Amino acid sequence: MIIDFNLIVEYFPVLLQGLMVTLQIAAIGCFIGLVLGTILALMQTSTSKLLRTLVTSYVIIIRGTPMLIQILGAYFLLPQIGIYISALWTAIIAIGLNSAAYISQVIRSGISSIGAGQIEAAKVLGFSTRTTIRYIILPQALRTTLPALGNEFVTLIKDSALASTISVPELTKQASFIKSKTFDAITVYFAVAVLYLMLTSTVSLFIAYLEKRMNYHAQD
Amino acid sequence: MLKIDGISKSFNNKKVLNNISLTVKSGEIALFLGASGVGKSTLLRILNNLETVNSGTLSLHGKPLDLATINTTHTVGMVFQHFNLFDHLTVEENITLPLEQVLKKSAPDAKKIAHDLLTHYNLLDNKNKYASQLSGGQKQRLAIARALALQPKIICLDEPTSALDPVLTSYVANNIQQLAQEGYIVLVATHDTDLLAKLNCTIYLMSEGSIVETAQSEDLKNNPQQFPRLKKFIAGHE
Repeated sequence: MIIDFNLIVEYFPVLLQGLMVTLQIAAIGCFIGLVLGTILALMQTSTSKLLRTLVTSYVIIIRGTPMLIQILGAYFLLPQIGIYISALWTAIIAIGLNSAAYISQVIRSGISSIGAGQIEAAKVLGFSTRTTIRYIILPQALRTTLPALGNEFVTLIKDSALASTISVPELTKQASFIKSKTFDAITVYFAVAVLYLMLTSTVSLFIAYLEKRMNYHAQD
Repeated sequence: MLKIDGISKSFNNKKVLNNISLTVKSGEIALFLGASGVGKSTLLRILNNLETVNSGTLSLHGKPLDLATINTTHTVGMVFQHFNLFDHLTVEENITLPLEQVLKKSAPDAKKIAHDLLTHYNLLDNKNKYASQLSGGQKQRLAIARALALQPKIICLDEPTSALDPVLTSYVANNIQQLAQEGYIVLVATHDTDLLAKLNCTIYLMSEGSIVETAQSEDLKNNPQQFPRLKKFIAGHE
């Protein structure tokens, strides 16, 4: 048997510790990505040319460089400029900022898909810009982009493995630790892959459930 | 009484409204008739601050109307051609959201007002459906109810029959006539001569941004020969 299940059981507590760290990176990273991505999308659809240019530049830089370099860059650069945070938080912030660039483009497409008629109806009813964004634009933009947002969250979970490069004890890092002790790479990476798959499937199922719940076009 | 005085509007040097002046009393319907592109919808959009105006003034009951604040003072209600309902909200929420967010009503007060309006417009059974799930006629009733919730003095309907089945025309006409009976100043933009035939209104025939002929619907019915241009327009569209 290629897979040694006894080894998985023996090291399960270590894997679980790694899983918890991965969950932490994923959850906070998604939160940063969604909140900052939404703000960036609103900036990019605003009338201010300066704001639009700022967001466009940010997106070009983040999307145009490898996330690995961004994580390593943050890890080595932050202490140089006097910011001392843990490797875990460095990874969370780097991954969150990276994800925000992608998510902003997803949400921007959702905002653009909202008909001018919706904005006009809100204006005629006397809604402030803030009320229009909160109650009319964002709920519809998030609903239409939900499947694409789900993709971004799944990508983020998998990309959190890159945090292992700056010694964050997440799932992948724990896996290499177990591998170096046991030399059973196949078993360890199999177990880790299954754990990642469980995480990403849970997110996908949850998004599918939300999609169904928020489908206001369905006839009952 | 709504007084429109010398309204003009150009888009890129093309005049779409040329010195439009008229008055509409409370309880009256002013119907702007014309082919598409004659400026009738633009006039309604100006009244709702969806377009700016190049010159001209407006007054309501003798007081000047400031177009810049017309939305926040809820003077005018608009029923759009395609209704522009908030599809992601329920029928009830389409009415309670503006009441709560704009008029700052409490949730129970907003629900009470929505309940009365939905009863009046025969939509109460559908209050928990999403707006997108309604039929065309129901959507229009909800659009009217949503506009009325903010208690405007003037209500505008842009092409009220064009998005609906022609069999509903009488029914739409009844709804519009009822608005006038309730004392609103009603402005309708349409090219639908069937709708015109079913309303008791003042007709303003528009062509290239100007009002070219005016008639009371009764007079037009009894003496069509007095209104050659209207007669021609109606004949051309039958």
